[in-house]
Amino acid sequence: MDIFEITREPIDKPGLEKRLLTGAAGAVVTFDGVVRDNTKGRRVVSLQYEAYEPMAVKEMRRIGAEIRKRWPDVERVGVIHRFGPLEISESSVVIVITSPHRRVAFEACRYAIDRLKQTVPIWKKEIFEDGEEWVEGQAPEVSR
Amino acid sequence: MTSNAIKINVLLFGACREVAGASELNFDLTSPADVAGAWNEIKTRFPNLEKFERSALFAVNEEHARKEDPLKDGDTLAIFPPVSGG
Repeated sequence: MDIFEITREPIDKPGLEKRLLTGAAGAVVTFDGVVRDNTKGRRVVSLQYEAYEPMAVKEMRRIGAEIRKRWPDVERVGVIHRFGPLEISESSVVIVITSPHRRVAFEACRYAIDRLKQTVPIWKKEIFEDGEEWVEGQAPEVSR
Repeated sequence: MTSNAIKINVLLFGACREVAGASELNFDLTSPADVAGAWNEIKTRFPNLEKFERSALFAVNEEHARKEDPLKDGDTLAIFPPVSGG
């Protein structure tokens, strides 16, 4: 089954890949979003993520449904987003797509992370050595 | 007594939560109510939220919503800046 989760715990990437691997899959494409140590030349110490949990999971499910419509060949979709405090190089989001062949898995994975950044209600704050700042998301066109 | 009063639950997230200094509150509105009207009332109570006038996004009962969408008794209205997950 597809997996959509929000968690405070470190994301188990190999575990997620394993849970989504079906016999019919010939490709596993994983996107791992990790915390970067700088932004616009400023040194980032850590990130703080906040989520509107029930809605975030709903929006992830919606992305999963969109993917199945666009790429019916996809075997499984998995999205896990972490929240709370994160250190440099820790994974904030892991997306896994399994499919019989690679092209579909690559395309669907790219689509999933792009959509997640537009619609899933999660926010991050960058903690600098000398202060902190919420990251401004791009205002999307609201679609329902 | 017949009354047009409705109660909604308001959630604030991210920078909106921080600026308002509140994450959840109950709000009374007069029916018919919509997101725009609620937003105006909420800004009156938390004037610092005015800086999100152009950027704030809304959700009603966990679905993305527009300013012209109606609100009814018991609804949950979430207010937040453009999302920045990933």
